[in-house]
Amino acid sequence: MRARNGFAVLAVAATMAASAACTATGSNGDNGDVTLSVWSWRPEDAAVYKQIFAKFQESHPHIKVDFKPYKATEYNTILSTGLTQAGGPDVAQLRAYGGVQPLIDAGELVPLEGKVAGLTNFETGALDGIRGKKDGKVYGVPLEMSTFQVYYNQDIFTKNQLQPPATWDQMIADAKKLQAAGITPFAVSGKDTWLLPLYNDTFAATRYGGPDFEKKVLAGQAKFTDPEYVASLDVLNQLKPYFPKDMMGLGETDVQTLFATGKAAMIPEGSFALAPMKAINPELKLGVFNPPPPPGAVVAKPLQVGWVDASYGLNAKSDHQKEALELLQWMTTTEFGQQVADNLKQVSLVKGVQSSDPLLGQMVSAYRTDPTPYLMLVDFRYGTPLGSDLQATGLQKMLLGQQTAAQVAGDIQTGVSQWFKP
Amino acid sequence: MRGWRVAGYLLLWSYAAVAVAPLIVMVIDSLRPNTEVLSRPLALPTTVDFSSYATAWTQASFSTYVRNSVLVTVGAVALDVAVSLPASYVLGRFRFRGSGVLIAYFLAGLMLPIRLGILPIFYLLGSMNLVDSRLGLVLVYAASGIPFSVFIMSAFFRGLPRELEEAARIDGAGEFRVFARVMAPLVKPAIATVVVFRFVPLWNDFFFPLVLLRTTDRYTLPVGLTQFFGEFQTNWSALFAGLVIATVPLVVLFLVATKQIVEGLTAGMGR
Amino acid sequence: MRWRVAFWFLLPAFLLYTVFTVYPLLSALTDSLWQWEGTARGGFAGAGNFTSLFTTFPLNRQLGPAFWHTMAFFAGTMLVQNTFGLLVAVLLVELPVARRFLRTVYTVPYLIGGLVVGYLWSLLLSPTFGPLNAGLDAVGLGSLARPWLGDPATALPVVILVNAWQYIGFPVLLFGAALAGLPPEYGEAARVDGANAGQRFFRVTLPLMLPAIGVVSILTFIGSMNTFELVYSLEGAQGNQPTGPGGATDVLGLIFYRVAFQEGGTNAIGQSSALAALLFLFTFGIAVVANRVVRRREASLT
Repeated sequence: MRARNGFAVLAVAATMAASAACTATGSNGDNGDVTLSVWSWRPEDAAVYKQIFAKFQESHPHIKVDFKPYKATEYNTILSTGLTQAGGPDVAQLRAYGGVQPLIDAGELVPLEGKVAGLTNFETGALDGIRGKKDGKVYGVPLEMSTFQVYYNQDIFTKNQLQPPATWDQMIADAKKLQAAGITPFAVSGKDTWLLPLYNDTFAATRYGGPDFEKKVLAGQAKFTDPEYVASLDVLNQLKPYFPKDMMGLGETDVQTLFATGKAAMIPEGSFALAPMKAINPELKLGVFNPPPPPGAVVAKPLQVGWVDASYGLNAKSDHQKEALELLQWMTTTEFGQQVADNLKQVSLVKGVQSSDPLLGQMVSAYRTDPTPYLMLVDFRYGTPLGSDLQATGLQKMLLGQQTAAQVAGDIQTGVSQWFKP
Repeated sequence: MRGWRVAGYLLLWSYAAVAVAPLIVMVIDSLRPNTEVLSRPLALPTTVDFSSYATAWTQASFSTYVRNSVLVTVGAVALDVAVSLPASYVLGRFRFRGSGVLIAYFLAGLMLPIRLGILPIFYLLGSMNLVDSRLGLVLVYAASGIPFSVFIMSAFFRGLPRELEEAARIDGAGEFRVFARVMAPLVKPAIATVVVFRFVPLWNDFFFPLVLLRTTDRYTLPVGLTQFFGEFQTNWSALFAGLVIATVPLVVLFLVATKQIVEGLTAGMGR
Repeated sequence: MRWRVAFWFLLPAFLLYTVFTVYPLLSALTDSLWQWEGTARGGFAGAGNFTSLFTTFPLNRQLGPAFWHTMAFFAGTMLVQNTFGLLVAVLLVELPVARRFLRTVYTVPYLIGGLVVGYLWSLLLSPTFGPLNAGLDAVGLGSLARPWLGDPATALPVVILVNAWQYIGFPVLLFGAALAGLPPEYGEAARVDGANAGQRFFRVTLPLMLPAIGVVSILTFIGSMNTFELVYSLEGAQGNQPTGPGGATDVLGLIFYRVAFQEGGTNAIGQSSALAALLFLFTFGIAVVANRVVRRREASLT
């Protein structure tokens, strides 16, 4: 870290205390108790985390945990400054893949191999999301993985005598039927653009080839401008008639509410949306499916989009390394994993944890058999511009009629090739 | 002539309706259960229901946030005015070598997106042990207000007639007396303007406390509010209640002070 | 005035302002000349960060539209907020009934702050659950209902209108104060000459108001260049994507914020500081020139 003190010394020497300001907020209590501060971008989970950490304190009475959530859209800003200075977290929730690299590169996180024994409780693939790109070391304990699929409202389906569709044509026919009945087929947001790449993977990964395309594009044998990928971008255009007319004015919570209040029959959403949607309407009866392959698809069976999402890591400047490691170790146990599954309603990656919610179980088993990555997040966030940003911007313009699928593909290729070398 | 007046009043009152209608909707919807807000966006409450306020009040420590906002904002505005007033007096009424440069130096701050300095400010406060401190926030806020205060107050000082000051000086008053007893009272409307126009954005600022404060006990209202919005995204009724709670203190404060401000503004200008 | 007194009068403001505003901002500007690796400073970059603004895709394609949106925001605000604000201020002088009450009512939206205003209006304008479209429906104008913030044609105008709604109290108060400060003799003289209200306004009041109009215009310009909070809370900001439908409400202040905090590029500090430096020079240059023109007018009037 670069010294910024020169001017301060000159101008305000009198008022300045000797500055050795590199302690985290976690503090020692009266009787040697330690309070760890844990940061997260999930304020909506605050209540549940309170219960979870109460469990931790039962077995670790000398460690208190102070859970501090920040708004998700501000979190990156806060964490990147928070880790460099006094008052930062001891343990922080971390983004996956490319999102965490700047923090690793700046030396602000502690590599956990050899320090957290429980890392063996994870499949190696589960740790890939939190590995340093340059040194290959693991910098966090994976919290959960996310999957993305289509939820449907069982009551609406029953009323309209529908089943989860087996073919693309069936899905379109169902959508038309719902529309005729005055129900929005798909609750889709065009305002929260980060969802658009996920919609694309959910409906059209089969069209471009899913994991096989991923391998090829990483090896330099395929490009985003290849006809298969361009055609996959166009799939959302074909579905546009069945999206809400006002989609560009609808945010994620708006479409969740549309769906949860029975105004829309289906919604493409993440595993992480299950709890919030149930909160809007506890009566909601849900089912999930993965869209059948569209015409011309490269892969003939539905694929399940999934990726490792959040992890918890250790601030290199924490004053309570030992206690923080104890907490991280606890986060690798099935006790914690089961809490994540049962109370946070997310997919824990700890081996042996079973989802009590049958829907989450269905998502996980679909991912085990037919996985496909959230391509832009997993592979194209290691440089700027981020692949996901380019695709989101482009898809929004495409759905507004301002760009063609081919132009969108061209922009993705141009942007990404500025830093991506196969 | 009469028709012209009627049209004028009509315009003034219809715009008044436009100005307050969204706020009325905000209050009404905060009193309706969430399902009703979502199913019938434009309706009066069937029964008045304060439970959203209970939700908002118990889930977020709004009383702490209000106290912190008052401390920080009042402190910053007071410090800002205290240092800007004498400086504006010198800059507004006297020409000396470098006074032009100094004026430009102060006014330059008006034209900067202050957020742009956030990282250096963060490191500076860190070196002074003022991160996560309300005092640090007060200093940054007061400093960021100086350009606007100097801009407004020096313009007012410039506009005062020279005779007053000369009369006082002939009476043998010292520089400080001339300033404190004669000139400063004359720019009360300028001070009122500065207080209003600085108080409000500081009260509402969320970016600096978001980055510079860490402890929940020190949070100001807007930061508390953003967290509240994250937690209650789909409970519109509670969101509206939170917005009302965040708005009311300032509106009450302004209504109490507005008499003085507007009177000061107009009377001061008319003199 | 003696030098020593002047010095002590100026010193506190000078110090506070220099340490907590100028130094951080200058420091941010010099940051633009260096290459950055996260928060660690690398080698000297010279103009590298500046040229990279115009050569990095898609940033180079975002800057142009964002500049014009910012200008449109300024022009729209002048047209809607300040013109209407002047009209209201003049009417308030001529029509005394409930003057103070009305002035307060107009000022209330200003009190609630960009963040709250943004949240409030995004709820009000929501296409599905918002009262505005429901209201249009209720009075038979349902065909006018649209996703106001999601339609490229209406998004920027709506943002300008919401901003004007919030800040109308600013010109009303400032113009009101300036109008009250005008010497009444001029108006009286014109009235005796038989001029009607319109003639009096355009021939007497308006020229005398030019300094106040100048001040308000400069502040509006600076405010427009820094526009961020309202657009952010109305339209959101995600990663490094232009804000609004098809980027229709993307403004320069948002690009700075995105490059600095959202995009997560390793050279974020260098590149965002370069953008900030350009923004600063442009705003500062225009404002200084405008201020000089206004001051000259002021001088020629007195």
